[in-house]
Amino acid sequence: MSNPPHSPHYADQAISCTVSVLENLQIARNTYRLRFESPQMSRRFLPGQFLMLRLAGLQDPLLGRPLALYDTVCKDDGTPRGIDVVYLVMGKMTSLLAEASPGDKLSVWGPLGNGFYPQPVNHLIMVAGGVGYTPFPAVAREHLGSRQYGQPARTTPGASRVSMCYGARSAEFLAGIENFSEIGVELHLATDNGSRGHHGLVTDVLEQVLEQSDSDSRRILCCGPEPMMKRVAEIAEQQQIDCDVSLETPMACGIGICFSCVARVREEADGWDYKRTCVDGPVFDARQIRW
Amino acid sequence: MTPERAKEAVANMCNETGMDLSTQLGRLRLRNPILVASGTFGYAREMKGLVDLNRLGAIVPKTITQQPRLGNTPRRTVETPAGMLNSIGLDNDGIDAFILNHLPCLKQFEAATIVSIAGRTEAEFISMAQKLDQAEGVSALELNISCPNVTGGVDFGTDPEACRRVVQGVVRSCGVPVLAKLTPNVTDIAAIAQAAAAGGADAISVINTLLGMAVNWRGRRPILGNVMGGLSGPAIKPVALRCVYQVARAVDVPVVGIGGISTIDDVMEFLVAGASAIQLGTANFSDPTVSTRILDQLPAALAEAGVSSAMEIVGTLENKPPQPAVPDCCH
Repeated sequence: MSNPPHSPHYADQAISCTVSVLENLQIARNTYRLRFESPQMSRRFLPGQFLMLRLAGLQDPLLGRPLALYDTVCKDDGTPRGIDVVYLVMGKMTSLLAEASPGDKLSVWGPLGNGFYPQPVNHLIMVAGGVGYTPFPAVAREHLGSRQYGQPARTTPGASRVSMCYGARSAEFLAGIENFSEIGVELHLATDNGSRGHHGLVTDVLEQVLEQSDSDSRRILCCGPEPMMKRVAEIAEQQQIDCDVSLETPMACGIGICFSCVARVREEADGWDYKRTCVDGPVFDARQIRW
Repeated sequence: MTPERAKEAVANMCNETGMDLSTQLGRLRLRNPILVASGTFGYAREMKGLVDLNRLGAIVPKTITQQPRLGNTPRRTVETPAGMLNSIGLDNDGIDAFILNHLPCLKQFEAATIVSIAGRTEAEFISMAQKLDQAEGVSALELNISCPNVTGGVDFGTDPEACRRVVQGVVRSCGVPVLAKLTPNVTDIAAIAQAAAAGGADAISVINTLLGMAVNWRGRRPILGNVMGGLSGPAIKPVALRCVYQVARAVDVPVVGIGGISTIDDVMEFLVAGASAIQLGTANFSDPTVSTRILDQLPAALAEAGVSSAMEIVGTLENKPPQPAVPDCCH
């Protein structure tokens, strides 16, 4: 197992507060980047962690929605200012959120969950499906040494090469791809309809990238729809590459009190138990998951 | 505000108003009537970083069973208008793991611990009660005879005689106060409450969730893995309030109001309708710090009602015609 000994990540570092929207920008089809002000939260966040967000004061929609850290936002002098998250308009809550303007109030609580745990690695390969790409810009920045996260800022062993395999339904759903190039990530795209990059599955692209990578120190990080993550886990297993997956199970609370978001996690002696994705994850060693 | 500052602020407010927040549930005395409901607060440890757990009247941790239970197949929850459905299915590690892993943490907090138990049989309820009676840190038991997500889970909550027997069996076999938590999915909740009272319950908790369902018509599938689930949240508050009112009029034992409470006004409505305490449930999911915030607001609300203690307002609903609505311009 690549991660340190397991213990649940309760919301001990989390802040629960009402914040103001700073910016709500469409960045791809049905996809928005929302920025809100919270220096305190910004300081604490690690890549791969998430927060719960809802429209303040409303009883319908009622529950918060889990959103991964897209990136922390700093002022010009480098001091933390706020948080960026990215969401896809899917239902009632995200449709209302798409109409949010600067100054509108949101209820948020976070940072939550474990996040991606940095390991010394030569070639880091990130694999994303759809809106599952959102944790990866921060992961890439941290591994390439252009940004530090956490309080106190954690030092990351760093990767000499970072690749991103990113698949979406069509070109218009691909978001933030210019960011990845700016950060210094090698980008490999796939779309279901062939409108950009490889015409087919992102897992095909992953296999190509692995063929062309001769490093013996590789690691895969993955986030996206479950069938995609399952296939990535199989590829990683076949090639004996460490692989972490960030699960997207439906959550009601995000803090471990409702037991909704469970996934089947392997235990010793071939057994498994339902574990809460919010506090036991959302990032798991892919070998731990019984798909 | 830091927890210390908040505590101080509340203490000051109580001093100024002379407000006594304590409440009595049979043999169980609580420092205040703001409780958190089973299944909506984990085992409390989860909330330590967000809520000052010492301040709550009581914590009801997630229901435990004799044997570990995996719980139901996901998907386990889905949001509905102003509410949610759940079919968690009493996912828990069993009573022994609870006593070993969770009780030691729970007893550190000043809030009382009311342990929620669910047995498949009367004998199982009694054996669990006896075990918890011997354990340290159990302030009371709440009998979950109302979970809609477990086969056989509601028999004790729908048949008055079965309800009386199980409550009486538990009360006689342990020394701690016993609460019975009832389901609203019955024709006459007052009759079940009377049976629980006859069995010797110290208090009656009303209500558990309402049985409901959600459908994905495009896929022609139920949304929940277990097909049906329990409805909770603001959507069910009027039903809960009605049940509290009916039960409070039918029995002499105190009532604990549960169901869709999320604001201080909700709390006051339940107290007036006859609840001696309330539990916050789904509100903990959508607003993790709601419990202590409502507690901060309670003294002022009681003062506005012209009382000097929480118990004074309980069941003060008057049998009068409703007040005519006053147009805004007349204020």
